[in-house]
Amino acid sequence: MMVAGLECFDANLLPHLGIFALGVAMLTPLGESLTPPALRSKWKSLETKLGRIFAGMFLISFSGFTVSAHTLWMHNKSQEMGGGSFCTAGTVCDCASVIGNNDWNTMPFLGLPWGLLGMLAFALFMWLIISMAKDPAASWVLNHLKIGTNFAILGLGIILYLMYAEYKIGKICQFCTTAHIAHVAATFGFITLSKMYGTSDWAVGNSSVGTIDPSARERRKRGGYVAPKQASEEE
Amino acid sequence: MIRRDISDEAGARSDALMIVSVIFITAFTYIALTTSPVYTGVGVGDRVPELEGQIYDGSSWVDYNLEDHIDPLWSEGEGGTWFMIEFMDTNCGYCQQAAREDIPTMQGQWLGENPPRSTPENVSVEFLAVSISLWNEDVAGKSYGRDVIVEFRNDNGHNFPYMDMQDNSYENAWGKLGTPTYFLVAPNGIIKYTTPEASSEFSVWDAMNEEIPWGEE
Repeated sequence: MMVAGLECFDANLLPHLGIFALGVAMLTPLGESLTPPALRSKWKSLETKLGRIFAGMFLISFSGFTVSAHTLWMHNKSQEMGGGSFCTAGTVCDCASVIGNNDWNTMPFLGLPWGLLGMLAFALFMWLIISMAKDPAASWVLNHLKIGTNFAILGLGIILYLMYAEYKIGKICQFCTTAHIAHVAATFGFITLSKMYGTSDWAVGNSSVGTIDPSARERRKRGGYVAPKQASEEE
Repeated sequence: MIRRDISDEAGARSDALMIVSVIFITAFTYIALTTSPVYTGVGVGDRVPELEGQIYDGSSWVDYNLEDHIDPLWSEGEGGTWFMIEFMDTNCGYCQQAAREDIPTMQGQWLGENPPRSTPENVSVEFLAVSISLWNEDVAGKSYGRDVIVEFRNDNGHNFPYMDMQDNSYENAWGKLGTPTYFLVAPNGIIKYTTPEASSEFSVWDAMNEEIPWGEE
């Protein structure tokens, strides 16, 4: 469904854009006023800047994931209906002509749809973010930040390639562009988190660490390994 | 005595992995259940790859694109045009034998007005020969070119079009093919028979008899 006068706006994008906009807002100072007390009491981390950035990053990655899944669905539908012979009445903004174009709609060499790569990339981001949000004091957090930042920067190159594909096809796919914007926002988020790591903002976000049982913290340092004890030691 | 110390604390990474896995599997299941994609390829069940070039229709060379003749929305039981596509080389002994012995009989059976093999009124059959090059002209005794194609077609009394694909540009989409290789393509572009996947006793002519619906006798 197209909205009259806004040819490039597709109403099917609204759920993805809604999640994305909420995620971006959480990264800004607006995020504090966006989280109602009910949510804060349920998720204590939302009271801190770090917690809100994690929440925002998760929402951005989730919107990227859902819109990528949507493009994969469209890709499959186009293959069901004739693949490369897919025609629509769209003008410059025409997702079907981009996703239905058999010359560009799959990854070179692998032949997998781009939507699947998007789903995998955003699933990786979600995993990195959720795990860091659950345990911001863990020893592997810095590794997660490095992985996230490097993959996000690598993804920017892939986005440039896909923009080139759109230029060659002569059409713009709004759904793909939404995924690209979500990726850029996630890259920005990872860079922000990397800068925050080790600063007082990160420590504030880690306020609950002080209440953690010291033996649990010790266990976490050892990567979860629990050494067996003699019964006599126990007593 | 060694006592096992059990920790109820699940790793943050494992928790996160489980959450993301649930999201991923849910999305993937939805896509799998609501779509049924058909991919382009040269196997049975695949969508026929692009085939575009110039054909000799008996009087002149004209542009031809197979895709223009395909109806992607066709479904079983509807009318439409079935395609028998033969990849051949005018210098290949087996192709020459088939062109001389089998094809004239089969074109008499399937092509033209009211062919002996009955089909429903809205169902038709077209043959298309695609002339490719297994060798090049430097090889002794091998000759190529459009004149050779026309001569080959006329000498064998064929009345269906021949496509000039002697630059072998078809290979990008179809892969390297031996000759003769036959394909039976349904009106929606789905391949129903290919020589490499069939047993030697089951020819394209058998597949046509089996797949193409019969008319009222």
